[in-house]
Amino acid sequence: MNTTRRKFLKSSSLVLSFAVGGKTFLLSPAEAYAQSVPLAVLNESDATTLEVLAEAIVPGARVAGIRNFIDSQLSADSENSLLMIRYLGVPAPFAGFYTAALRSAEKLAKTRHQKHIAALNSEELSQIIDDMAQGKVKDWQGPPAEFFFFVLRSDAADIVYGTLDGFERLDIPYMPHIKPEQSW
Amino acid sequence: MMNNAINSLDKVDLLIVGSGAAASIIAAKAAQAGKQVLMLEAGPERSNKDLVSSQLWARRLKWGGSPVEEEGNLKIGHGFNAGWGTGGSSMHHYGVWPRLHANDFKIKSLYGKGKDWPIDYEDLRPFYDRVQSEVGISGDEKLEKWRPEGAAYPMPGLPVFKQGELIARGFTALGRDTAPIPLAVNSQPYKGRNPCNYDGWCDAGCPTGALANAQTVYLPQAKVAKANIIHRATVTRILTNQKGDKVVGVEYCDEAGQSHKQMADVVVLAAFAVENPRLLLASATQAQPQGLANSSGLVGKYLMTHPAGNIYGLFKEATQPYYGATGGQLINQDNYDDKAARKGAFGGYQWLIANALKPNGLLGIANTRPDIYGPKLDAFMKQAAKHMATMVFVGDDLPLAENRVELSPNKDKYGVPLAKVIHNVQAETDLMCQHAVEEGKAVFKAAGAEQVWSGPRVGMHILGGTIMGTSRDNSVTNRYGQCHDIPNLFIAGTGLFPSSGAVNPTFSLHALGLQAVEYLLSEWAGIV
Ligand SMILES: Cc1cc2nc3c(=O)[nH]c(=O)nc-3n(C[C@H](O)[C@H](O)[C@H](O)COP(=O)(O)OP(=O)(O)OC[C@H]3O[C@@H](n4cnc5c(N)ncnc54)[C@H](O)[C@@H]3O)c2cc1C
Ligand code: SF4
Repeated sequence: MNTTRRKFLKSSSLVLSFAVGGKTFLLSPAEAYAQSVPLAVLNESDATTLEVLAEAIVPGARVAGIRNFIDSQLSADSENSLLMIRYLGVPAPFAGFYTAALRSAEKLAKTRHQKHIAALNSEELSQIIDDMAQGKVKDWQGPPAEFFFFVLRSDAADIVYGTLDGFERLDIPYMPHIKPEQSW
Repeated sequence: MMNNAINSLDKVDLLIVGSGAAASIIAAKAAQAGKQVLMLEAGPERSNKDLVSSQLWARRLKWGGSPVEEEGNLKIGHGFNAGWGTGGSSMHHYGVWPRLHANDFKIKSLYGKGKDWPIDYEDLRPFYDRVQSEVGISGDEKLEKWRPEGAAYPMPGLPVFKQGELIARGFTALGRDTAPIPLAVNSQPYKGRNPCNYDGWCDAGCPTGALANAQTVYLPQAKVAKANIIHRATVTRILTNQKGDKVVGVEYCDEAGQSHKQMADVVVLAAFAVENPRLLLASATQAQPQGLANSSGLVGKYLMTHPAGNIYGLFKEATQPYYGATGGQLINQDNYDDKAARKGAFGGYQWLIANALKPNGLLGIANTRPDIYGPKLDAFMKQAAKHMATMVFVGDDLPLAENRVELSPNKDKYGVPLAKVIHNVQAETDLMCQHAVEEGKAVFKAAGAEQVWSGPRVGMHILGGTIMGTSRDNSVTNRYGQCHDIPNLFIAGTGLFPSSGAVNPTFSLHALGLQAVEYLLSEWAGIV
């Protein structure tokens, strides 16, 4: 590994293994997003809905690489998953939990505004998120909307605030014993 | 998938299911006494090098075995409360180690509720004192005026940072006291282990050795005394003789799906409060159709979790909530002893004060206000990361037979029925919790917090399910965790508690473990 690369990993927030063209690379989710690393589990439409919602709930989630983070964790077995959902009493595998709720949100946007969720203006999107947070949604399939909101908000907070970069953003010391730069 | 061919392995003296807190002390003492000890651990092998300081990586310490189905108005949160791999849940535990109080052992006699223990505080006191000296606890027994009698703490209390000082101000304003929280965390070097750095990474596991857990204290001792652990070895059945009055070993499945029979003179179940009864129930035979060690019909019953909830506040002053240990800086037990003091309510509670906070994770800053999102969230996070304070109440759970572990019709990949757990709290517990929350808010207001709010009620720790007692009419085991029906089968851990008390249970389970292993070793010839 060259020095710049090592330096990047040292200062980076969260480094995971991503598969690109049959090879595995160590990247932060933000880097994976910037490099458009292909998704393994989510389809493009679900990933777009995911990042639109996550960005609106926790600003910064998109460039922090929420789509690549969730996608990479959904392709890990549940024992190795870094997602909070693993200890919230939802049986693995977790992909269906996410995709069912994401498709319900997209359907809600279409029913209410005849648009994809990504095309909503900020007011329309906020209303949908408010209603999800309060469980005031009709024809919702998958996990309860308010629970999904809680989980997605936590996931987004994980990558925006729960990393070395996130602590820096909050101007608080990270003080690690072992830095989260290594891949397990 | 399980491979049906069974490989029979040589007999060992003592086989322990699990490698967590309870297993580790029993393994160390038995191996030191010359017994051949084998621990079978369902999870992966882990060393301190794996304890990455991150709330994300910390999740890999959580339960990764067969799912547990849960029901009730206060779920036990098995996925969160149980760990796996070397050291079990002790690896993500925070080291808050208070003692049970004398009245915790006698709630039936004193209040007509739940169950009495077959022992009292004085029986356990010498074992608390010895474990305390072996493990190392920091605290101040003089300031901790609620603490039952016992040897002085071997280390002074940990320092109090700004967050603790501010909350203490609220207690003082209401004429109340606080004391350094008793922590199995080193305030100074102790028995070759490092002192704490006060960086708040305890939830991710403490790789420095400052926090006492199975991997820092008893597992290394067990290893030196030649005890072995086989990882990725999931015990699927406990094996008995035909009559069903003697255990002969266990069946387990390895990582490759190969099934093995491991024979042993004595078996200790130390697989935590849900897996222990699950294994007993799932090991039913013709001789014991209700499950092993279950002539009482009580296996799985009286399952408990401590009802708990956080108070949060934002202060004008900087609170430095990132400093300190996750377990907290201070303790208050003013409302602990009189469990019937509050009208219509039952149970005492304690406050664990000024827990170190991280921005993310289930207990992190962001999730304390799930109602804030969008552009307002960043402003909240920036303020809270420097000005927030918290404390958590931990209350008694009333032991009830209907709160239980039973077998689900659904099975895991080994063909073993899943555990189904039903846990509800009653109105009197609910009232105790409401009282605690109101009191906590009053303390924060008196401390000068500008905003005060409370978190949801949660289940903290898992206890009961294989309770100890005086006879097979009222319990699964005797005071040593020895099954009434099967003398060479022991149970260890919080599952033995007939009542929950309102303190964190790991110190007590060690004291019980020490008492049990000394009995086992002294009575060995008559037991095997
Ligand atoms: C976040 C958190 C913080 C905590 N903080 C505190 C605290 O500050 N103070 C305190 O007193 N307590 C605390 N606890 C509780 C503490 O962790 C437990 O009380 C304690 O670890 C229980 O010990 P045990 O030996 O019974 O179980 P564990 O330590 O969990 O060990 C059980 C082991 O058995 C293994 N196992 C399970 N099933 C099988 C099977 N079928 N075959 C083989 N192996 C199996 C598991 O993988 C596990 O390793 C905390 C818990 C959590 C989750
Ligand atoms: S705060 Fe202390 S006990 Fe906790 S992880 Fe850091 S050094 Fe270990």
